[in-house]
Amino acid sequence: MKKVAFKTLGCRLNQYETDAIASQFQDNGFKLVPFNKEADVYVINSCTVTHQSDHKSRNFISQANRKNPDSVLVVTGCMANNAKNELEGRDEINYVVENDHKSSVFSLVEAHYNGEIFHPSKLNYDLFSYGSTDKGFHTRSMVKIQDGCDNFCTFCIIPSVRGRAVSRPIQDILENVKSVIAKGAKEVVLTGVNIGRYEYENFKFDDVVEQILDLDGDFRLRISSIEPDGFGDKFLGLLNHPKMTPHLHLCLQSGSDPILLQMRRMYSIKRFMEIANKIRSYRPDFNITTDIIIGFPGESDQDFEATCNVIKELQFGHVHAFKYSIRKGTRAERMQSQVDERIKTQRSEVLREIADDVKFQYRNGFIDKEQIVLVEKTDGENAKGYGEHYVPVEFKGFKLKKNHFYRVKIKNITTDTEPVLIGEQVK
Amino acid sequence: MRSHKVIEIRNLTPSTYVIKMEKKDFTFKTGQYITLGFSGSIDRREYSIYSSEQDEFLEVLIKEVEDGLVSKKLKRCKPGDYLDVDGPFGHFSLKEDEISEKKFLFIATGTGISPIHSFIATHPNMDYQLLHGVRKEEEAYEREAYKKNKYILCTSREKSGDFHGRVTEYLKQNPVSSDTVCYLCGNCHMIYEAYDILEKQGINLGPIHTEVYF
Repeated sequence: MKKVAFKTLGCRLNQYETDAIASQFQDNGFKLVPFNKEADVYVINSCTVTHQSDHKSRNFISQANRKNPDSVLVVTGCMANNAKNELEGRDEINYVVENDHKSSVFSLVEAHYNGEIFHPSKLNYDLFSYGSTDKGFHTRSMVKIQDGCDNFCTFCIIPSVRGRAVSRPIQDILENVKSVIAKGAKEVVLTGVNIGRYEYENFKFDDVVEQILDLDGDFRLRISSIEPDGFGDKFLGLLNHPKMTPHLHLCLQSGSDPILLQMRRMYSIKRFMEIANKIRSYRPDFNITTDIIIGFPGESDQDFEATCNVIKELQFGHVHAFKYSIRKGTRAERMQSQVDERIKTQRSEVLREIADDVKFQYRNGFIDKEQIVLVEKTDGENAKGYGEHYVPVEFKGFKLKKNHFYRVKIKNITTDTEPVLIGEQVK
Repeated sequence: MRSHKVIEIRNLTPSTYVIKMEKKDFTFKTGQYITLGFSGSIDRREYSIYSSEQDEFLEVLIKEVEDGLVSKKLKRCKPGDYLDVDGPFGHFSLKEDEISEKKFLFIATGTGISPIHSFIATHPNMDYQLLHGVRKEEEAYEREAYKKNKYILCTSREKSGDFHGRVTEYLKQNPVSSDTVCYLCGNCHMIYEAYDILEKQGINLGPIHTEVYF
């Protein structure tokens, strides 16, 4: 039996796509092995959002080649689009597959083993033709509803590598959701590059969410990363639905209005605050997590302080902060006043401390409360998973099973940088 | 991306010009932008569309940037040259249900007037007032395109305009009624300041209608 290993970098959309490709390999007789083990096929689903992502992707390419130089090495994902020539010039890589042909990675490898060598550009082009994800790496079942982005934020390379915004037909989405529920999925996660801008015929994002929530079945719905500009009040109203999880990853990027304008973001801090406060008015413990870019060109000490203040005020459940890095071809590449790396590093440290502190405060608030935890790992008596707020929980119980919901009373919290709630099953 | 043949270059000032191109089957929503560069060149820049949705040609308004790479080259293009057009992009658009119902205030600086020109050319009957901030009167690009009583030229470096000073100063002296829908397009500093002023005057801007020019 041939062995295949995967490494996924970056966003939830990449994770979804890897899950689907991994399932297809296994459905066709391949054995899934960890990436650090010897495999016949390595698939690296890369990311290029920052310099660091590029660096990591390159490291994993080298790692795979070291593990088995005779393996079939496939590099796909955003770096495959952005650094195609460089990657195609590396002898150890057999195939560089751009995002729009990613769903055909298995066909490419299958053809390779059948002695048919063809260029990835000849593969099927379909952004939504991924199959089932049931043999993927996640307990949660991700469903792709959209791809690409038309926002063209000045720092962002993603529209160049993922292409223009395209929305999947709503009927296909509903069929996909029904199918994963029928196969036992308990948590459905909507993914895409800019899902709030979903638009297919007359259906907008809130219509998709509403129709999924109306489906029968014992499942809950999670929205992954979303921009604050694409949705309206109807969507916010749906956050009250019993099947909707109280968590949104709402991308802020900066707490300073002048910087948001330079980033070509389409909201002000006031608007972001209004959204956050409205969400918390439905549910005060609603988990709002976010992304922050540190050291965008022109970011002054005052701008940075404003960002820190917003984090403190909104008590984000988690802040994914990263240092700005120039992406070739973006508008921000040509901006004056690039911020010195040392300043970015100092600001990162300050921000991390604040973010860790508010995260702990937020999670600490769950002590003595209950969470409905979807178990991802268990030995029957101890289990790990995520509660509805997308906070990690470890708990003890009886005859615990993976991919089942359990009501858990939270008793304690760890004091790590990634605090975990500790609880007991409520019988 | 497709190639569009240049029909005409219209010089409006020594540094500002309009490129008129074939439209072919290109469609867009007024307010959107394209990226433009010489056919085959990797150097491209973003420009808001200046012409209307119904025009049979495509126009962009460009200011030559000192030390700029693309704007300087584009200024030298001639009728018959081919330019690569990609797009349309952007969400700086009018809401269909507001166009004939609402009163609009458009605030633009410099060539930031380009998408506003497209708005007004596409919907000539809309109820609007346009504040255009420039340094000198010569930068009142094709002001005859706007109804006389609707266009207010704010000149900061000379007294030749309808108002001497920046658009933000005009706004402070001439408060805007709260039922006005405002669209802002131009440099970041103006947008930031104007947004603040409008908000203090009680304008509920809701989701921002802004397009930043750098």
